Amino acid sequence: MINETELIEQLKQGDETAFKTIVEQWKDMVYNTILGIVQNETEAEDLAQDVFIKVFEKISTFKGDSKFSTWLYRIATTTALDHLRSKKRKKRFGFLQSLGGGDEKETIPDFHHPGVSLDNKERATVLFKAIESLPENQKTAYTLHKLEGLSYRDVSEVLNTTVSAVESLMSRANQNLRKELEEYYNKHYK
Amino acid sequence: MTSKEKIQQEIEQTLQCIDGVKRAEANPFLFTRIQARMAKKDSAWERTFSFISRPAIAMAIVVLVMAVNGWALLGSNSNNSVIGDTANVSELANEYNVVASVDNYDYENLTNE
Repeated sequence: MINETELIEQLKQGDETAFKTIVEQWKDMVYNTILGIVQNETEAEDLAQDVFIKVFEKISTFKGDSKFSTWLYRIATTTALDHLRSKKRKKRFGFLQSLGGGDEKETIPDFHHPGVSLDNKERATVLFKAIESLPENQKTAYTLHKLEGLSYRDVSEVLNTTVSAVESLMSRANQNLRKELEEYYNKHYK
Repeated sequence: MTSKEKIQQEIEQTLQCIDGVKRAEANPFLFTRIQARMAKKDSAWERTFSFISRPAIAMAIVVLVMAVNGWALLGSNSNNSVIGDTANVSELANEYNVVASVDNYDYENLTNE
């Protein structure tokens, strides 16, 4: 089996087989990360394609200072967050249109992560709804740690920050999630 | 158990529900789809379209078209002198053999030709 460095070198030469190997090896990691952030399977698949196309086009800029997976995580999280930002902009524009008598407001369906067991399905839906409301950096750190199982050190490398900064992000994310969940359960217990 | 305690318990359970969650699997045909997207992206039409549809380029084209229209409009207005118009009309009349005032004599002459 070819090692990672050789694979990257081959990809830099434009080798399609190397590209295929990279896609096959890292597609679940990229897809799962994006899915956790955008919470929509169709959009996550399109964005995963975008990420690998970017990898193919930008591989020459990869200097090997960080791990390839770290670089890939960075592209995946940036692509997902950019997508959310553009969606938010469109939503704002849609709201303005609806004020002017445009289309009705669209309803967002509940998100079910395919990796969650059946017993936890409902709970996870509530949690993902709360995760959606987190600020970008907290959402990214939380997704990478909880869904991808990255250590705080690995998360700090992806986010290009310190471990203590990630600890602080995670702590604030947990506080915000508790607040959101408390609101939800207070409403649904009465 | 009070309702507050019950809610706290629910929150804890919900926060833990994605611990050890399985990784979502990507479409097995992802690579084929990427290849198709890249082939489409490489086509000349696609490249032209994506270049034109960039907001900055699209705006520049609109501004250019408006500028050309404005220039054409202003240019045609400044050339509208009476003499120029008369000369143009008589030139056109001669070219198409149209006579401005036709009396009977002229008319007969014309039809006899």
